Amino acid sequence: MRQVFEYDPDIGYRYIPGLKARMPHESGGYLIRANEMGFRSQREFIPEKNPGKRRILLFGDSFTVGEGVSNEKRYSDLLEKQIPELEIYNFGLPGTGTDQQYLACRKYASGIDHDAIMIVVMVENIRRIVARYRYYLDENNAQVYYAKPYFELSGGELVLRHVPPKKEPVRDSEIPLEDRAFVDRGGRFPRIRTFLIKTKLEKLAPNTLTRFIPYTPYTPYPEYNSPSHPAWRLMEAILEKWIKEQKKPVLLVPLPPHIFIEEFRVANYHKRFSELTLKTGCAYFDPLPDLKCYSMEERRGFRFAQDKHPSQAGHVAIAQAFAPAVRKVLEGAR
Amino acid sequence: MSKTVLGISAFYHDSAAALVRDSEIIAAAQEERFSRKKHDPRFPVNAINYCLEEAGTEPADLDAIVFYDKPLWTLDRVVENCLMMAPSGYEQMEKALRSILGVKLWTEKQVQHHLKSLGKAGKLLYTEHHLAHAASAFYPSPYREAAILTLDGVGEWATTTIGVGKDDRIELTHEIDYPHSLGLLYSAFTYYCGFKVNSGEYKLMGLAPYGDPKYVKLIYDKLIDVKPDGSYCLNTEYFGYLDRLVVTNEQFNRLFCGMPRQPESRISRKEMDLAASIQVVLEEIVLKMARHVRKSTGEKNLVLAGGVALNCVANGKILKEKIFEGLWIQPASGDAGGALGSALLTSHMYFGEKRRMNPNGRDTQKGSYLGIGYSPSEVRAFLERHSYPYERIPDLKERARKIAAALAEGKVIGYLAGRMEFGPRALGARSIMGDPRRQETQAQMNLKIKYRESFRPFAPSVLAEDVATYFEMDVESPYMLLVAPVRNEKQIQTGWKEALRDGGDDMLHVINQARSDIPAITHVDFSARVQSVHPEDKRDYYEVIRAFKDLTGYGVIVNTSFNVRGEPIVCSPANAYKCFMRTEMDMLVLEDCVLWKDKQPKMKENADWRKEYELD
Repeated sequence: MRQVFEYDPDIGYRYIPGLKARMPHESGGYLIRANEMGFRSQREFIPEKNPGKRRILLFGDSFTVGEGVSNEKRYSDLLEKQIPELEIYNFGLPGTGTDQQYLACRKYASGIDHDAIMIVVMVENIRRIVARYRYYLDENNAQVYYAKPYFELSGGELVLRHVPPKKEPVRDSEIPLEDRAFVDRGGRFPRIRTFLIKTKLEKLAPNTLTRFIPYTPYTPYPEYNSPSHPAWRLMEAILEKWIKEQKKPVLLVPLPPHIFIEEFRVANYHKRFSELTLKTGCAYFDPLPDLKCYSMEERRGFRFAQDKHPSQAGHVAIAQAFAPAVRKVLEGAR
Repeated sequence: MSKTVLGISAFYHDSAAALVRDSEIIAAAQEERFSRKKHDPRFPVNAINYCLEEAGTEPADLDAIVFYDKPLWTLDRVVENCLMMAPSGYEQMEKALRSILGVKLWTEKQVQHHLKSLGKAGKLLYTEHHLAHAASAFYPSPYREAAILTLDGVGEWATTTIGVGKDDRIELTHEIDYPHSLGLLYSAFTYYCGFKVNSGEYKLMGLAPYGDPKYVKLIYDKLIDVKPDGSYCLNTEYFGYLDRLVVTNEQFNRLFCGMPRQPESRISRKEMDLAASIQVVLEEIVLKMARHVRKSTGEKNLVLAGGVALNCVANGKILKEKIFEGLWIQPASGDAGGALGSALLTSHMYFGEKRRMNPNGRDTQKGSYLGIGYSPSEVRAFLERHSYPYERIPDLKERARKIAAALAEGKVIGYLAGRMEFGPRALGARSIMGDPRRQETQAQMNLKIKYRESFRPFAPSVLAEDVATYFEMDVESPYMLLVAPVRNEKQIQTGWKEALRDGGDDMLHVINQARSDIPAITHVDFSARVQSVHPEDKRDYYEVIRAFKDLTGYGVIVNTSFNVRGEPIVCSPANAYKCFMRTEMDMLVLEDCVLWKDKQPKMKENADWRKEYELD
């Protein structure tokens, strides 16, 4: 597997500046281009706005960066086509939590002129922000763990830890005891998942298998059930700080994983994000109702068969859902 | 009307992909470099992925996807062969049919499965195997018109073809069909001498100078009937490839008085003499053919492709005889080159794209640096991720001076820079370099770095303008496909033939004799497999040799492929670092980063890495 990230002492990692690569994938593969700042974009991120353009700085994880699809097929790039004067700087970084995305904004976006900021929180990110280590597959497809920067709430204040994070990967057994409860192993059932990956069963019959085993790394997230859940309190603190630091309008969007789109599950996260919106005064958009308007067959096509990231059709649907909210926030920014 | 065409070769040996856009070669690579399995025959999913990456295109945007061979024609040959040999040859039939019916006939499905698209054409196109070879030789050549000669083991029915290329068109006019095959004849001796078929032919060629061609008459009397025009017929009674799983049979063994040599056992005089004999026969036939082609086509230039065209000693003989004014050989002459040929053929003869000639009169193969490259940023990301100590020297000339100084001190250096070579030879993008003036370099590099047979010679990379200073050669040889003698005045007469006779089977005391003032690249017969390095093709490599010349007065260095025996040539910085740490190389250059072995952390290996690669 090709190395596409380089170490970043403040965020953990970013794309290798100037990278041009095509990633093998069940879709037949996809092209990625990174700019000199180390983010997946065809264009360089420049401080001054281009005349006649409205600029949005976009933050998120792999759903936003477009794992599985080429740059120009991501919802960010599709939104630019739908809203001609729009220019989106996509700062998405796969595998990151909202905490690292906030750090990326602080480090790389602070000097960039813009009209609005869009924070897209993939709902599962709530698990990543409490993590101090996260698993990755190395170039030999072996599971390794990397330390990540994280925040702790101490006396109501956010305290940044693990900066700079350790450069080298560690094995499971090398993770310090006090951190063992804070390892993101990729969701629920890490052992089952490891077994399925190792035996290649996941690739052979993913849908058949999930019919018999309630296996999915994504779950209804109990972290969102209560405003006092420690994980939500941390998420709330990070987002509140991030939003309050902005001088331009902020659009907050929780992006649901496929189980919410394809199945009848209560979107328990919605209430929390609504409350936060009221608290901070930022704009809020929940795309789930729009995404659920499609037929079940169409909705199944919004993700890949094995990889649960949005497919090309998924990005088209997300862009269509987002467009009115983006237009509205840009109007408000005039 | 810009057309983008993807060519694929697969399912025989050495699968590959190539991409041509607007008749320009954009990318080409062998699957083995990515999969790390030597001569990988599987569907080249990684090589295709790379070609699409280089072109920045998606499968659905390809105007055509083309396969370099017609599996149905191959099936026809296999079935006919089986019927002819029945009731014997069941094992061979089973293997051949299993292979063809199992995967080769379903190539289009494989493409659809892996790429999720058949491109705009909506179907997979197929070219004839030898037409693809011919296209790979003619279109990138510097000639508007040329005679074409392709020679290999077998492709569908054909084993040898003759034709003519003019501007955008190619026509094959004559062919010799299976079971008569010069490639299979050479492979039979490769196998009998204890080397692997489809990879050991190169070793047999390297072994030939040690022997006396005492079996030439026997080969002509019993194995092959050659006509004055170079056409030939094999006596198939002596070969096993028609009805069994090996190339030779008991009659072949009886003819040469014994069983085939066991791989890895000691090489005896018999193998040396057999190698010398079959090499002489091959050269004589190829020369006859070349003369016939010259006469029958009237063309002044010749282009060559097919596995046999990798026999650089025979190529050197064609050049020396001055049968043609110009000679160009496709550097990826084996099946891998079929991917490139099929893409070029489709581009010109299916889509009617105009051929683009190189305005400076050189070829359009781009030095064969058509594979993947890693940016300096990628290299540094790799080194930083693993905390490997390195020194960054962005200035090209300063870096070249540092490398040259280390070479002059006798250091052996791994070098990864720029885009990877397409074809079996390392040409300074994935190479191991050494000092050619040192007597001990050959043994050191063979035994402590390459872990391969000590008799195998190393090739020189020489400044293009200095070729004639060191070698009896006055043309470019950018692809290491021509062999020429070291200049007479540089040779040191050692009486090696007598010494070898006196020493019986022991080659070592002959190998270790100094035969010129550049002993590490001078083979026992004073020949060398020359790579001329032109600054237009590879500036960084040229600067290294230039700096070595400034320091030592010699514009020539040792160049061997960056791998160990049985390992595909390294592809990525990670492959290069691993190979560097496993062997006794002293320095590693990864783009603009220089690493010293003694500063690296000790590498932890869980198992004996030598077992990782099957010996070739």
